[in-house]
Amino acid sequence: MSFSALILRNLFRQRVRTLLTVLGIAVGITTVVALGAITEGLRVTSGDFVNAGGADFMVAQDGASDLTFSSVPADDVERIAALDGVERASGALIEVSKQAENPYFLVFGYEPESLPDEPLELVAGRLLAPGADSEVMIGSGAASELGLAIGGTLEVDRHAFEVVGVYNVGDRLRDGGAIVPLSALQEVSRRQDVVTAIHVTVAPDADPGAVADTVERDLSGLAAIRDVGEYSKVDQGFEIVDSANLAISLLAVGIGAIGVMNTMIMSVFERTREIGILRAVGWRGSRILRLVVYESLFLCFIAAGVGVAFGILASRAVLLVPSISTFLVPTYPLEIFVRALAVGVLVALMGAVYPAMRAVRLSPMEALRHE
Amino acid sequence: MSEPAIEVRGLEKSFEEGRIKALNGMDLAVSTGEFVAIVGPSGCGKSTLLHLVAALDQPDAGEIRVAGHDLATRKDLNHYRARHVGMVFQLHNLLPSLTALENVQVPMFELGRAPRERRRRARELLRLVALEGRERNRPPELSGGERQRVAIARALANDAPILLADEPTGSLDSEAGRRILDLLEELRRERGLTVVLVTHDPGVAARADRVVRMLDGRLDDARPAAPPARVAPALT
Repeated sequence: MSFSALILRNLFRQRVRTLLTVLGIAVGITTVVALGAITEGLRVTSGDFVNAGGADFMVAQDGASDLTFSSVPADDVERIAALDGVERASGALIEVSKQAENPYFLVFGYEPESLPDEPLELVAGRLLAPGADSEVMIGSGAASELGLAIGGTLEVDRHAFEVVGVYNVGDRLRDGGAIVPLSALQEVSRRQDVVTAIHVTVAPDADPGAVADTVERDLSGLAAIRDVGEYSKVDQGFEIVDSANLAISLLAVGIGAIGVMNTMIMSVFERTREIGILRAVGWRGSRILRLVVYESLFLCFIAAGVGVAFGILASRAVLLVPSISTFLVPTYPLEIFVRALAVGVLVALMGAVYPAMRAVRLSPMEALRHE
Repeated sequence: MSEPAIEVRGLEKSFEEGRIKALNGMDLAVSTGEFVAIVGPSGCGKSTLLHLVAALDQPDAGEIRVAGHDLATRKDLNHYRARHVGMVFQLHNLLPSLTALENVQVPMFELGRAPRERRRRARELLRLVALEGRERNRPPELSGGERQRVAIARALANDAPILLADEPTGSLDSEAGRRILDLLEELRRERGLTVVLVTHDPGVAARADRVVRMLDGRLDDARPAAPPARVAPALT
C-alpha cells in the first residue's frame, strides 16, 4: 500500500461528501474558466480589429470608456495620413444598433472611396458606390444571422439602407456587422465630422512604434493602440471584466476553501481515533499533516479537472446565442488553466491548514480516547 | 549486570486536574527478554503505566528509561514509538478501512521502506501469526482473535525489541486468548522480545515469567506475587 493509496482510500470512504465537495469547488472553477475563455475571446476579437486590414496600429480617443464612445475629429484622418512614414490612414465610425435579437450589432461607417483599398473579400454583390448614402454592405456572419441578402434592407437609427454587397474581412467584429457610407452614418448617428477610430498602415521602411509615438505627440487627445494589450487606453471594458474575473476567482477561492475546510474538519474529526492510532505506531506529525493536506489537494485537483471541463462546455454554450457567436469565439490560453489550477491549490491549502494543524496537535492518547 | 530493558522510577500521573491519581510513585524494572505480567484491580494504573512506557502520554513526575535512555530527554518520541516499542491494545485499534495486510504495513511508513518491501514484510508477519489467506480482509470481517493477531503482527512490523500488550486477551474467548498467549510466548522465545502484558486474568498472568502486582498506582508490596520466584526485582 502506497501513501497515495491511503489518501484515496480515505477520500472514498465518504463518497457522497467527497463528490459534493468536488462539485462545490468545481462550480467556482467553472466560472473562472468560462469567464476567462470568454474574456480571452473578446481580446482576440478586439485584437483583430486593432490591426484590421493589415493596419500597424489603431488610433482612437485617449481615455474613452468604450471604443464605440471614442470621438476623433474626422480631420485627423488627413493629418495622420500626412505624417512622415504613414502609408495609409483609414477612418471608421462605429455605431451600435439593435438588429432583431442582437442589441450589439455594429455598423461601421467608411468612406466608399477607401473601400477598394480595404482587404475585403466580396462574397456577393458589389462595394458601396462613391457618393451613395443609402447603401450597405453586410458581413458574412451578419448576413446569415439576420437572413439578409442582396436587395434586402437594413435599418439603422430609422434610416433604411439597401444591401448591395456581402463581404468577408476575416475579423469577427466587422464580419458580424455592416459597412455603410461614413457621411450617412455620421448623419443618422448625429456625430458629424467625427470618426471612432483610424487604422494606420506605415510605410515599409518606417518604424510603426515611432510613427505611433509621433501620432500621440502631435495630435492631442489621441491614443495609438499597437496591440490589444494597450486597449485599455481607449476602452475600459477589459479592465472591468478582468476585475470581475478576479473578484469571482477570489469568491471561488473563499467559498471553495470553506467547503473544503468543512469536509476536512469533518473528516479529521471523524478520524481522530485513527489519527491517534497512527501516532501510537510512530507516525510523525509531519506525515499526518501531509496526509490531510494531500487529501485536500487531491480533492481540489479533481475539482479543478471537473471545473475546467465544465468551464469549457459553459463557454462553448455561449456560442448557441447567435448574436454573440458572430463576434466571439471563446479562447483557451494556458493561463486560464494555470489560473484554474491555482484556484484549486489555494482552496486546498486554505481548507486543509486548520484541520491538519488540529490533527497534528493532538497527543496520541488524547486522540485514542476520542469516541 | 546488564541494563534493564525498561526501568521506571517514582512514576506519577493524574487526570482531571489531579482529581484522579492513576500512578503514584510506581517503580518497575524489566530485564531484556523477560515476559512480565502486570496485574491489579481496575483503576490501579496498569494501562496508564503501559501508555507512559509507550510514550503515548507524558508523566507528571518520575523517570522512564528504556534501554538506558530517559524518555523525558528524547526529542523524537515518534521515532521511539516507531522503532523501540510495539503496542497491542485491548480493542486492537486497527484502522477499519484498511485490510489486514495494509494495517500491518502502517508502522513501516516511518522506516522509509518501499511499498513492495512493506507488502512482503506484512505477508511474512501475517503468516507468523497464522493469518495466511486473511490478508485482504478488513477488521470488521475478522474475528476478535484474528484482529488481535493482526494487531500483534502490526506491533512487530518494525522489529521493535519491546512488546507492550494492554489486556490483549480481554475481549477474547478462552481458546482465542490461549492462542494469543502462545504466540506471545513463542515470539519472546524465538525473537528475544521483552514482553510486558497487562491483565486482570490470573490464568493469563501465570503464563508470564514474573507477575507484578499493582495497587493504587504503585507496586503492591503487601502482596508478593506467586510463585515467589516471580517477584519484581529491586531497583538498583
